[in-house]
Amino acid sequence: MSTTPDKLVERYLKHLEVELDDLPRDRRREIVDEIAGHIAEARAGLEHETEADVRNILEGLGDPADIAEDARERFEVRPVIPASTAYKPGWIEVGALVLLLVGAIVLPVVGWVIGVVLLWISNAWNVRDKFIGTLFWPGGLGFSLFFVFYGASQSSSSSPTSCQFSPVGTGEPANCIASPDSTGAMDVLAIVLVVAVVVTPIITTAYLGYRLRHQPGAATA
Amino acid sequence: MVAGKQDALLAQMRKGTLQYCVLALLADEERYGFDLVRSLAETDGMVTSEGTIYPLLSRLRRDGLVETSWRESTSGPPRRYYRLTKAGRAALDGFKDEWGRFRDAVDHFVERKA
Repeated sequence: MSTTPDKLVERYLKHLEVELDDLPRDRRREIVDEIAGHIAEARAGLEHETEADVRNILEGLGDPADIAEDARERFEVRPVIPASTAYKPGWIEVGALVLLLVGAIVLPVVGWVIGVVLLWISNAWNVRDKFIGTLFWPGGLGFSLFFVFYGASQSSSSSPTSCQFSPVGTGEPANCIASPDSTGAMDVLAIVLVVAVVVTPIITTAYLGYRLRHQPGAATA
Repeated sequence: MVAGKQDALLAQMRKGTLQYCVLALLADEERYGFDLVRSLAETDGMVTSEGTIYPLLSRLRRDGLVETSWRESTSGPPRRYYRLTKAGRAALDGFKDEWGRFRDAVDHFVERKA
């Protein structure tokens, strides 16, 4: 079964039109019309047109994809990335970031849980990022505040026993040991600990936000 | 030099200078697209895909370096003729000077006898 020259030309122009899709309409029209004219001129100059002649004409013009790439460059049009591979932070990501950080303050427990669900639904982060977002801290800033106030009330009510918080960051709140004196050193330690506990969820949120913009999957897709 | 790199360099040089070759072809007479492409293709190595001339012509027109008008043709449908504008001529003259200097500078180094 052979293809007629007209069919070949038609298919070529159609292909070209599709490839030039990123260009403004008037420019696309102009280029396609001119190339259609070129083909007509070239064909008119042939004595006895064969399919091979037409194929040579089209090959001389070049692959529509190459012409389109050149055209995009000439008109400084950036290729449109198909929606399936383009990554755009949407409401899921924004919601996850906000709720993870302050969700527990706005709506105790539930707010943060919704944040976690959004975090794990989203395709924007990998599993490691999702674990980081979930574990530091469960409850986000709400946990930090709870920790600070709980710790403050504990240390003021129980004067002979000073509470030392475990600095490992596992989220275990308190580790009370009896210590007769040296409250000064304990205070410094407590302040460092409080700052660390408060800053951690903010750093986590900033990190997740950073990963949104520098997502390895989105860049290579 | 790696062959691929050299190809890429040639493609870039061609891309950068092609528009001035088109302007130069239009310096003395107006031409239609097919005629322009044929003239460019006669010189080996100037155009790899003839179709890329048309986006270039469209861009030149939008930049005001060429203008076009339709003419009846004896052999078929009307043709769009391209003609240099004042700005196009100025761009061509400017390029000629720069190109001469650039060519001499490169020659000075690469053609130097060891």
